[in-house]
Amino acid sequence: MKILVCVKQVCDSPDTLLFDESAGRVTFGPHTVFRINRYDEYALEEALRIRERLGDVIVDAVSVGPPRVGRTIRRALEMGADQGIHVRTGGDDCPGAFERAHLIASVARGRGYDLVLAGIMAEDDMESQVGALLAGLLGYGCATGVIFEELSADRREVSVEREVEGGSRECLALVLPCVLTIQSGINTPRYPALSHVLRARSAELECIEASGLAVPPPPQNIVRILPPAEGRQGEIIGGTAVEKAEKLIRILREHSLLPR
Amino acid sequence: MDGRFFIIAFHEGGRIQEETWELVSFARRCGAADPAMIVLSDEGTIEPLADELAHRTGLNVVGLAGNHLKGYTAEAYISTLVPFFRDTRGEICITATHTSRGIDFAPQLSVMIDACCITAVEDVGEGTFIRSLHHGRFRGEVRADRAAAVLTVMPGAFAPEDAEREKPGKVRIVPAGDISLSTRSHGTRAPVHANIGLTKAEVVVSAGRGVGSSENIRLVAMLSSLFPKSALGATRGVCDQGWLDYSHQIGSTGNTVSPRLYLACGISGAVQHIAGMKNSGMIVAVNTDPCAAIFRVAHYGIVEDLTTFIPLLVDRCLKRE
Ligand SMILES: Cc1cc2nc3c(=O)[nH]c(=O)nc-3n(C[C@H](O)[C@H](O)[C@H](O)COP(=O)(O)OP(=O)(O)OC[C@H]3O[C@@H](n4cnc5c(N)ncnc54)[C@H](O)[C@@H]3O)c2cc1C
Ligand SMILES: Nc1ncnc2c1ncn2[C@@H]1O[C@H](COP(=O)(O)O)[C@@H](O)[C@H]1O
Repeated sequence: MKILVCVKQVCDSPDTLLFDESAGRVTFGPHTVFRINRYDEYALEEALRIRERLGDVIVDAVSVGPPRVGRTIRRALEMGADQGIHVRTGGDDCPGAFERAHLIASVARGRGYDLVLAGIMAEDDMESQVGALLAGLLGYGCATGVIFEELSADRREVSVEREVEGGSRECLALVLPCVLTIQSGINTPRYPALSHVLRARSAELECIEASGLAVPPPPQNIVRILPPAEGRQGEIIGGTAVEKAEKLIRILREHSLLPR
Repeated sequence: MDGRFFIIAFHEGGRIQEETWELVSFARRCGAADPAMIVLSDEGTIEPLADELAHRTGLNVVGLAGNHLKGYTAEAYISTLVPFFRDTRGEICITATHTSRGIDFAPQLSVMIDACCITAVEDVGEGTFIRSLHHGRFRGEVRADRAAAVLTVMPGAFAPEDAEREKPGKVRIVPAGDISLSTRSHGTRAPVHANIGLTKAEVVVSAGRGVGSSENIRLVAMLSSLFPKSALGATRGVCDQGWLDYSHQIGSTGNTVSPRLYLACGISGAVQHIAGMKNSGMIVAVNTDPCAAIFRVAHYGIVEDLTTFIPLLVDRCLKRE
């Protein structure tokens, strides 16, 4: 059995991003730190648990992005993935969801994955698209927001629970191959074992240039980046920490929210 | 906008999902002249659902009916909608809510009908759609570059348009035929972690990942104990870490609360969290990051490190008594 886990590298410190409002662009600053998208850590952990349960399972991790995402793929290897695939793009940024899904689909095609796991959402762009797009492109079934999964004994089917609003769960069974997008809390992701860390350090990543893969023109395009929406402006309480505390206490007492 | 505008109405247990009425005002904001509603269900339940939509919106309604639509699955929706839209020419815009279902079927549908797919839309620009990035720190303005578009709209972004109409829209029920599915729906399970105490509390003091460690939950609990009828809440992030169990989780996939006071400690203010507490009487947030999204919904914001500020606050409170 073969499992592909999609991992995205996201920025860990959005406050270090540089915003050029007149150009409508965001760029990474000198102190920007990157890490694996949290939901993808859960997806990878779930794949590793399936491998531990069933034995003869190969877990590949794929990421699309500029050279720096190699670090995130190595992180997946440190956690225990068997093989890392880097679909390398130019520039400093990740392409849009449509292109990312097409690139991953063209890598996945012909490799016979029984299961493709992705995160429910990338924490930076928050589109929640790539997993489901991938299912559409590969002609696989798909369930999103998966919080429980169990493969049938004959490995032809997977029973899943999708978490929906209010914490209810929709139960369904899909035939393999299929795509599952994983919700946080499905498991507790492991810390890399030292032996895996050492192995990951010297492991060869399979590197594929995105420019060599055919992707149709994207059907939607970001025109520009805008500042946050004007919201209801509450009051930011100023002063020293003590002044802030006393002012807050006064406000709460005035509203009878805190006993005098 | 020219062409056809379609609103997919989700429903559960015979009830139309509330966010559907928000999609109607979204359609108006897009300038849709004559939007139509689509509802999918089995033959036994389709008519009352379609009628309710026609009465409450005054819009024309298409009810797609088939036995495969008894329970929701993405496959059932897609296999019904793709043939329905196959013969539609020209510009077409299909919208659904950005909820667990919208996320589930919209991207796949866009692939099948060669449409663009723009998710979590919060606002409409000039021929563009606007959506949040990095939990609201920035917004992206996105242009649709295909004749067909599939959009999911963020719940709460548009005011619901819901008034009983004098003239209901026309209802057309279309049998979707016998479609056999490879996905089987096994129904819905109730939430595993309901927390009655939390929803009844007058004051909810909540911990976010900013508390930094399970030990620091103690600080938030100490703050909570200053208030009578208070309860301890948390973000999903905190529950995922195992610092509090999931019965404390507040948000779209957790509890919904509307206490008189909501005190958010070390919470960034992700939309999914805000969804569960935005109707609180007074919202106070403590966060080290002055740009955190939580400050946009907070009535009072305090930019401080909670590990030093909470002890100080508790100390001052007790001293004054
Ligand atoms: C489908 C779906 C459903 C979801 N449902 C929910 C839900 O129901 N409820 C929910 O909460 N989330 C939900 N989420 C997750 C949500 O998107 C966010 O990831 C989560 O709310 C973030 O939690 P947080 O604010 O604790 O953590 P973070 O986003 O990591 O924020 C931590 C904050 O703490 C601040 N901070 C750090 N240190 C300190 C300090 N010393 N003092 C003060 N402040 C500090 C930081 O500036 C930051 O703003 C859902 C996500 C998805 C995809
Ligand atoms: N550049 C990428 N490389 C690999 N996987 C990705 C990439 N972008 C998104 N994904 C996967 O798709 C999921 C959803 O991302 P998104 O649709 O961008 O919100 C992520 O959690 C990843 O599993």
